[in-house]
Amino acid sequence: MKAFLEKIRHSFSYPKGETPSSNSSGFREFTGWAYRKLSSIRTSIYILLGMALFYLLGTVFPQGANIDDYVQAGGRFVFAVRLFNLLDVFSGIPFLFLAFLLFLNIAICTYERFFHLLVQKMPVPRDFTPTATIPLTMDAHVAQGEIWNILRERLNFRLLSKGQEWTVMERGLSYRWLTWLYHAGIVVCFMGFLITYLFAVEDVVTLYPGKPVEITPSSPGRLEGLWRDRHPKPGFSIILDEFITEYVQHPSIDYPRDRVSRLAIALGWRDVTYTINEKSFFPKDWKSRLRILKNGLTVYEKTIEVNDPLVYEGYTFYQMAFEQRLRIGVDNNPILLEVKTGDELIVPGLTTPLRFTNLITGTLYRLDGGTEGITPFVTVKRTVKDEGGGKRTEKLGILELGGSITVDGKKITLADIEEASILSYRYDPGVGILWWTGLFVFLVITIRCFGGWYMLAYRIEESDGIAYLTLSIQTRGLIADRTKMTERLVYYITSSELKPTPLPPSS
Amino acid sequence: MDLLQDIVSRNAFLLTFEVRLFWLVAFIYGTGCFFLLLYIIFRSGHLGKASHAILWTGITLHTGLIILRTFEGGRAPFQTLYESLSWFAWSATITYLFVSRRWKDVYLPGFFVTLISVGACMYALLSRSPDVKPLSPPLQSYWFEWHVTLAFLSYAVFVVSFAVEMSCLILKPFLKRGMAQDFGLSLDGLDEFRGTAVRLVLFGFPLLTFCIFSGAAWANEAWGRYWSWDPKETWSLITWTVFAVYLHSMAIPSMRGLPASLFNILGFICMMMTFLGVNWLAKLLGIPSLHVYAV
Repeated sequence: MKAFLEKIRHSFSYPKGETPSSNSSGFREFTGWAYRKLSSIRTSIYILLGMALFYLLGTVFPQGANIDDYVQAGGRFVFAVRLFNLLDVFSGIPFLFLAFLLFLNIAICTYERFFHLLVQKMPVPRDFTPTATIPLTMDAHVAQGEIWNILRERLNFRLLSKGQEWTVMERGLSYRWLTWLYHAGIVVCFMGFLITYLFAVEDVVTLYPGKPVEITPSSPGRLEGLWRDRHPKPGFSIILDEFITEYVQHPSIDYPRDRVSRLAIALGWRDVTYTINEKSFFPKDWKSRLRILKNGLTVYEKTIEVNDPLVYEGYTFYQMAFEQRLRIGVDNNPILLEVKTGDELIVPGLTTPLRFTNLITGTLYRLDGGTEGITPFVTVKRTVKDEGGGKRTEKLGILELGGSITVDGKKITLADIEEASILSYRYDPGVGILWWTGLFVFLVITIRCFGGWYMLAYRIEESDGIAYLTLSIQTRGLIADRTKMTERLVYYITSSELKPTPLPPSS
Repeated sequence: MDLLQDIVSRNAFLLTFEVRLFWLVAFIYGTGCFFLLLYIIFRSGHLGKASHAILWTGITLHTGLIILRTFEGGRAPFQTLYESLSWFAWSATITYLFVSRRWKDVYLPGFFVTLISVGACMYALLSRSPDVKPLSPPLQSYWFEWHVTLAFLSYAVFVVSFAVEMSCLILKPFLKRGMAQDFGLSLDGLDEFRGTAVRLVLFGFPLLTFCIFSGAAWANEAWGRYWSWDPKETWSLITWTVFAVYLHSMAIPSMRGLPASLFNILGFICMMMTFLGVNWLAKLLGIPSLHVYAV
């Protein structure tokens, strides 16, 4: 095993201090140089800063936007955007290359650390700077045994090395191994990201009640995309039995926008008030009652909502949104006009289109604890020109299902409504790896940062007939406390045969 | 109908009381900050001690306010930006007061922390609505409390770490010239004091890691993707990266000094961007954000 590790390492690099022989090839020199560079923490810092810069670019430029839209919206960096593909930074070659370098950097650092820990066995230091000196009353020989017992039995230290001068002991989980473990975990996380990047498939499906839809992802994963243009059909359908919307009654607040009036509330000159009106509907939940069909038979069913998806054969279905369609009658015309909520509808005979917003339907949970079925209603608005030449939204009224309002002499009726559930679905084999490895990385980072690790070196000397215990304590981790450990040691010393100490301990 | 009206009136009364209490808390923090300013000018330890007493009073009232809000909303009190700002001010101040108990006669970092806390309170009171909204469907998840609580705990320790780092950076040149001895620090003890900043980041870093991890797990459950490069997600990753750089730079002797300090300050700026700036940036640049409910 050790020989194997040595061989791998040597095939890439020259150990520090060694120089390549004159007949080394240029490629070997390059790999040696690259290996040394990529095993350095300084390189990690530069790469991480580079990554941070890319992340920053990704938040400044709208990712996934069309370049033409960017130009139309008045984007000022068109040349740079085109050159560096800044509207798709995270799929661009420069970012992926840097991410690959980061992966190599972490992988090589992890390997190097493993090599040092396992193969070279990190040497225990020989010289220590004393952190405390404690006078003892026993002779040095007896004190040796006593101190050894206290450290082993009472304070749970284990021996690292016993030299001529210093005895070195350790307590707690080795921070070196913990550091290695979470870096190794991050390397595995990268594998998870890679699997997601190469194999994940996702799409959106709109379901109308009672109408089954066969699941057919419109595009393959990135890797599959190299040899086929569609992802294979998973072989099942999904059907929406019911779409449920629930609201909670939430009164509208009357709270001033200007700062002076807000100050008036602080000073007690006015109060905050609440009123109940047609806006007092706050979404409580959206649910879809779904069934999975295979060969026409139901094989699985579940009611999903946001944060509670349906998982079937590696595919996960999420409640993403919903669509509401209205059928509008104009005067007594039997032909109904169809419109989605939020869209504009051109009504024959009206000069401006109407907009139907916020269809509220389903169940209302009242503030007083009761529930009631909501008579479906929608708000009707239109955009009109004001006297100054600008545009403003005019609210025309509330239109209930079966009810009507009159707009410029036209009778507008809400004849029918239909709701569809919009689900996003995804097949991502990388999630499992990321979930468990991410949890592992988090736990190990936590133990590494919060845990306590001590390396204690001590020696006992005699001077003028008095024995002295000289200590050097190094710590890692937040709960490690050198002062407290010294105090505990002093406590055990003074409560054992070594008491009393003739002089107070000096730091 | 009468019962409903009674409930509405009671809620309005409670909210009015709560808003006034929040103004009082902001005023107390402001007074504490003013005392710390006086401490910087006159360098009297009494002023520093008085400021701490004032801040403890403020934090006690603020704790009551947060408990009241929790009962009022029937959920964790950090759904809206108004609530988040209040929680942020509270967590930063209490973290500072808790950490500063280990320092003897050092009050300078408190000025930075209270200035940030007062700023957060005033931003909430003057610009945001105090409405106690029910929990919207995307937030109805067991991840909500964990994700946000730990995020703010990490923010709080990063604020105090920033304050310590700033204090060290400001005091160092003066201490080198034999001045500013009455700020409770000596040139020899400055490095050990700066160690507090490192320890705080070491405390906050796993929390931020969990915050990102839990956010990804939550996003995977709610949106069907564990990572969407949403501006808030991306800024939290920038913050994590900068603090990772900071911790790595502490392992390189030549970077342990000023460069590391600058990374810590940069980390704080990124954290503020994650918390507040990203909403402004998304609005300014018209970038859609999945975290709009935090506004």
